[in-house]
Amino acid sequence: MGFSDILDLAGSMLIGGLIMLILFRMNDAAVENVYNNGGELSLQQNLAVTAQVLEEDFRKIGYCATWKKIIDPSKSILLADSNKIKFITDVDKDGSGPDGIVDTLLYALGPASELAQTPNPRDRFLYRIVNNETPKGVNLGVTQFKLVYFDALGDTINFPITVPSEVYTIEINLTVENTSGYNEQYSSAFWRQIRLVARNLRNR
Amino acid sequence: MAGKAALFLVLGFSIIFLTIGKNFGGLSTRAVDNLTDYYTETVAHDIAVSGANMAANKVFLDPTWTAGYHDVSYANGNLNVTVNVVDAFKNIRQINSVGSFNGVTSNVSVTLQPSKFSKFAYYSISEGGTIYWITGDTVWGPFHTQDYLRVSGNPVFWGKATTKRKLIKNPSSSQPKFYGGFEKGVDLPLPTDGLTPIENAADAGGHKFTGQDTVYLTFAVDSLKIKYSYSGPTTTVLTSAYAPNGVIFAKDAVVRLQGIVKGQYSVVASGSTKGKIYLDDNIVYNTDPRVDPTSEDMLGIIAKNEIFITDNAANNDDINIHGSIYSESKGFGAEHYSTRPISGEINLLGGIVQNTRQAVGTFSGSSINHGFSKRYRYDERLMFSSPPMYPGTGSFEIVSWLE
Repeated sequence: MGFSDILDLAGSMLIGGLIMLILFRMNDAAVENVYNNGGELSLQQNLAVTAQVLEEDFRKIGYCATWKKIIDPSKSILLADSNKIKFITDVDKDGSGPDGIVDTLLYALGPASELAQTPNPRDRFLYRIVNNETPKGVNLGVTQFKLVYFDALGDTINFPITVPSEVYTIEINLTVENTSGYNEQYSSAFWRQIRLVARNLRNR
Repeated sequence: MAGKAALFLVLGFSIIFLTIGKNFGGLSTRAVDNLTDYYTETVAHDIAVSGANMAANKVFLDPTWTAGYHDVSYANGNLNVTVNVVDAFKNIRQINSVGSFNGVTSNVSVTLQPSKFSKFAYYSISEGGTIYWITGDTVWGPFHTQDYLRVSGNPVFWGKATTKRKLIKNPSSSQPKFYGGFEKGVDLPLPTDGLTPIENAADAGGHKFTGQDTVYLTFAVDSLKIKYSYSGPTTTVLTSAYAPNGVIFAKDAVVRLQGIVKGQYSVVASGSTKGKIYLDDNIVYNTDPRVDPTSEDMLGIIAKNEIFITDNAANNDDINIHGSIYSESKGFGAEHYSTRPISGEINLLGGIVQNTRQAVGTFSGSSINHGFSKRYRYDERLMFSSPPMYPGTGSFEIVSWLE
């Protein structure tokens, strides 16, 4: 083996090493991107689904397929708090549509301690409870569920709200984050319904 | 050899990059798909809501309108609206609006029923000068005035409050509580001949008194006692047989009313100068709906002119009134309100629909000098039921909205 062979060997090892380094770095970047992009996708899906469910339910405040069962729909909100609301409605329980039976529906944000096992320290359960059934949590990475209420004159109603029927329109703020993130970097997405009007609240 | 290796290397990397790029592109596309799906559904929903609103407006303007809209281009989408009569007897209609956008459809269903004035806890054309709703005043059901809604302090309106004109706060720091909503610019006049359809109904299946100056009516649960003068002979009839459709109409006469009502009736007094109803004593339901919500007792007290609480001994210690009061040209008040003795409370369960707000007493500060203090409670059954042939607004109201 001559000097030139040794030089070839060293050169190829150097180049091979550099290529390996590039590959490792590329692999790392690819994993990070896949993780982040996948998380972003799941985040977007969680936000869109949650927003659609919220809109669907909130628009039905005071609705019942047998409309005479709710004598005064303007009194349909039973409890109104900054991250909790309870109202009467007619829930589609089996996918066949509202059944004409008056139900109560509670939306409430659970404490962050309930999801201590997830890497994200801020995610919480957003509970949707029909008729006082046992709460079942699905972790969609919700970190903020904030409600702001307005009266008939458009003024913000201060908490505590002692007369929920005063509520005329609702602002819904929803923030969703990844439940786990690469290097603890969590993506977040925000959705706001500026003024949700449940038409049955003022239909008579 | 080295050239082939380089080629494989380049090809290999290219395949890897292309695959990763495709996956990243797919992820981005799917993430954007969520946004566009949400946007598409929102637009389709907005189109459907717009269709429902347009149709509801048409029905309000023309109660006979059932044409609907067919394949109307709207906001880059399409809307179809049908109007169906779902209950011909009660004239209940349903608007079904379908909005389409980019292949996504959304449905909105609105139910409407003829609107009756009886739904109001309080209605007036004129508030009788510059009378204010003040702190301590509470209206328990729907409220409407064609006049200014004048408030001073923090009166409470539990039902939806509407006014044709506007809200006047004096002082401007006043904070009225509108727990059922508030809307101004709502024009809802009283009819000028709202009693004519009731007279026709009396002819068709009720009872009509004619040629009498005064008709004394005392409801006695199932029966009705009738006389035509204070000391005249009394005739007793079975009310349900006497007025099968529930309309008891005194044409060009004064009615003097009291008793216990079982069933659903409207007592009406017409006439340009007579057309008054005097409440000589309590007029209450046999079954109080506050005690038994299944009560079907309901009364309309309907007059062309005034409806007065008679100034007599029976009414000098409270009066209980169950029913919806309707005074087309005048109002509801207390006879001799400024000279009669202190008479206790008016315990009204029902509503007041009147042309002009009337007085029921006089007061100094919080003390009554003459007449009555008011304890008015709304009968919530009036939200969806009404006494027989009670005057209607001539238009529909939305009773249910599904979206």
